[in-house]
Amino acid sequence: MIEVGGLRVVFPPAVVAVDGVDLVVRPGEFVVVLGRSGSGKTTFLRALNRLVEPTAGTVRVAGRAVTGAPAGELRAARRQIGMIFQQFNLVRRARVLDNVLAGRLGYVPALPSLLGRFPAADRALARECLDRVGLGHLAERRADTLSGGEQQRVAIARALAQAPAVVLADEPTASLDPALTTEIMGILESINARGLTLVVSQHQLETARAYASRIVGFRCGRVVFDGPPAALTPAVAEALFGDAR
Amino acid sequence: MRLARGIPWIVDFVRRMLPPDVSVLPAALVGAVRTVEIALLGTAVAAALALPLGFVSARNVAPAPLFLPARAVLNLFRSIDTLVYALIFVAAVGLGPFPGVLAVVAYTTTSLAKLYSEAIEGIEPGPVDAITATGATRLQVLRYGVLPQVLLLFLSYVLYRLETNIRAATVLGFVGAGGIGFYLQTYLRMIDYPAASTALLVMIAMVMVVDAVSSVLRARLV
Repeated sequence: MIEVGGLRVVFPPAVVAVDGVDLVVRPGEFVVVLGRSGSGKTTFLRALNRLVEPTAGTVRVAGRAVTGAPAGELRAARRQIGMIFQQFNLVRRARVLDNVLAGRLGYVPALPSLLGRFPAADRALARECLDRVGLGHLAERRADTLSGGEQQRVAIARALAQAPAVVLADEPTASLDPALTTEIMGILESINARGLTLVVSQHQLETARAYASRIVGFRCGRVVFDGPPAALTPAVAEALFGDAR
Repeated sequence: MRLARGIPWIVDFVRRMLPPDVSVLPAALVGAVRTVEIALLGTAVAAALALPLGFVSARNVAPAPLFLPARAVLNLFRSIDTLVYALIFVAAVGLGPFPGVLAVVAYTTTSLAKLYSEAIEGIEPGPVDAITATGATRLQVLRYGVLPQVLLLFLSYVLYRLETNIRAATVLGFVGAGGIGFYLQTYLRMIDYPAASTALLVMIAMVMVVDAVSSVLRARLV
């Protein structure tokens, strides 16, 4: 579903954030990318849909080339990759429903969308996605009037509205308290149970263990562990999170 | 010292302006309405023209080859004041409100474009990332990721420019670009001080009314 080969991201002048990652994610997997902050998880995820431009390497998602794709093909690849962010990244002054509708931008006719018009089928789909995260009743509210947990659920609905093949979630619970963490991870789990492939970055070992079908451990931009949660021994955790370099 | 010696002159001048000549009130009101029209039309046209310029000269949404020259050109033209534009346009297209409108458009477009671009540079990058990640086009990203963050700010800038343009437009009359300023200057030249004081009072009332309406609107926006 996701094929990554030799991925490197170097920020000028010479900060190596991702240092040669090879990874194949199979359909239906719930992959948690685990590592300390600064280990390159966020940059890795953002390179998968080229929000960050990779310095070298290849990325293919759901059969489409992401790296090397010209603008039009890149957009076609991006619309099948939903993304969820640590800071939710909703348009705060827009209505909840309009935030979810934004997930349809890659599909709808461009000119009417610039005037704020969306086909009825897309509106219906956006409402359905909002219902799936249990927030149908808040559709008309302004996004910034919602709590943090609700905002993240709206962001999940926006990603679902893309009818994606894959959802990337970058530290989706790092800004939320433990109860909301359980709630948001539970929603992600149910999405995964319906067959959607997930790649979620986390810095919390316990959360990763509880939900992942596979854990990929990052350290200094490299994959240092790849396996099921059961294989993540204390020694491996020490290698991931320990102070020794 | 010179100021102190001038005081009796000023007192004398004010005494000669009183009482205001009410008979020129209708003419002064027509002039005031014309001034408001110049400022309103000029500001509205400029608000629209400045939109693409604002986006093009914002560092975080325009590519460098576009925004660097755009910013340079804007800075160049922004150094010219409305009054100077009025002198140029009166010379170019003749007396009347038309060169006044052109002068307001010319200055306001560049100054609003600068304000717009600074507002755009101050947006949160997160929603832009999120909209980009949906597979949206560059224009869709501007429409859904950027515009909602800055629209109310833009409107409040436009209202603020309207307030300053009302004052600028009163002066435009002095150089023949129409409106209440033209009446004031004519009365002063004819040494008809009571009529001039009527024009002055109308001008003050006009500015106060527009300022009040505009600040109420702005308070509602932000």
